[in-house]
Amino acid sequence: MKNRFWIIIFSAVLIISAGLWILISNLSLSANIVGIYQNNRLIKKIDLNSVTEPYEITISGEAGKNIVQVSNGHIKMKSAQCPDKICVNHGELISNTSPIVCLPNKIVIKFENSSENIDVKTGVK
Amino acid sequence: MKTKKLVFTAILTALALVAFSIEAAIPPITPIYGIKLGIANVFTLFALYTLGPYEAAAVLFVRITLGSIFTGQAVSFIYSLSGGLLSFILMLILKRFFQKDKVWVLSVLCAIAHNVGQIIAAVIITQTFQIAFYLPVLLISGIIAGAFTGLCVQFTLLHLKRFVN
Ligand SMILES: [Zn+2]
Repeated sequence: MKNRFWIIIFSAVLIISAGLWILISNLSLSANIVGIYQNNRLIKKIDLNSVTEPYEITISGEAGKNIVQVSNGHIKMKSAQCPDKICVNHGELISNTSPIVCLPNKIVIKFENSSENIDVKTGVK
Repeated sequence: MKTKKLVFTAILTALALVAFSIEAAIPPITPIYGIKLGIANVFTLFALYTLGPYEAAAVLFVRITLGSIFTGQAVSFIYSLSGGLLSFILMLILKRFFQKDKVWVLSVLCAIAHNVGQIIAAVIITQTFQIAFYLPVLLISGIIAGAFTGLCVQFTLLHLKRFVN
């Protein structure tokens, strides 16, 4: 097959992907309930709007320690001992379509739909 | 002839390792898995087209093993190894259909397969389907990175004709 055939195919995939990407970022939502998972298990659920004082959570995994920073309305991976640092470079959690993932330590931080299991006073499960 | 092949394989492995180490030392530009150029693949592909499948396998797997040790990424060794094995099998299958003037196509297809595979693995490992929303970005980066590395190999093959034959 000719080069031109492949250029058309790959260009089409590029355009469709770019379209989907724009669509996803426009449809994505932010929320105030955040779930922190490790090894597929929920380890903490936080209502970001009820956080008064900023605090840190330390999570240990196979690849070392991760420190999650929580403040009013914001959550991010402050530091990590994983080799790739992708979770730290992610920055703040801003949408439900882009969870913070640390694959080496199997940690996922994402927005949740329900607020059940949350302690109203402290905002922490 | 056998010694010559062995020397070429060793040189390509060393070059792949250097490329891999340099790329690993650069902090990731984006917060998403799989977005990188994968310059080390240039040497695997080059070995596949000039030396043969066994030599290419040697270049790839020695690079992954030593690369994981040198960069201290022992945790991701299993991921790199399984990812490397799958993309190598795909590379061997596709090579039957793409000659030296279509290396870039093979390279793009392998890069796409690699990124899609990585997303599927991440979704399964973390049980988080939201990771699949990163797929469009990874397709775009796979096409660009694959075309770049493939064209590197293609132009090298074109200009090194005298040496490799
Ligand atoms: Zn991490």
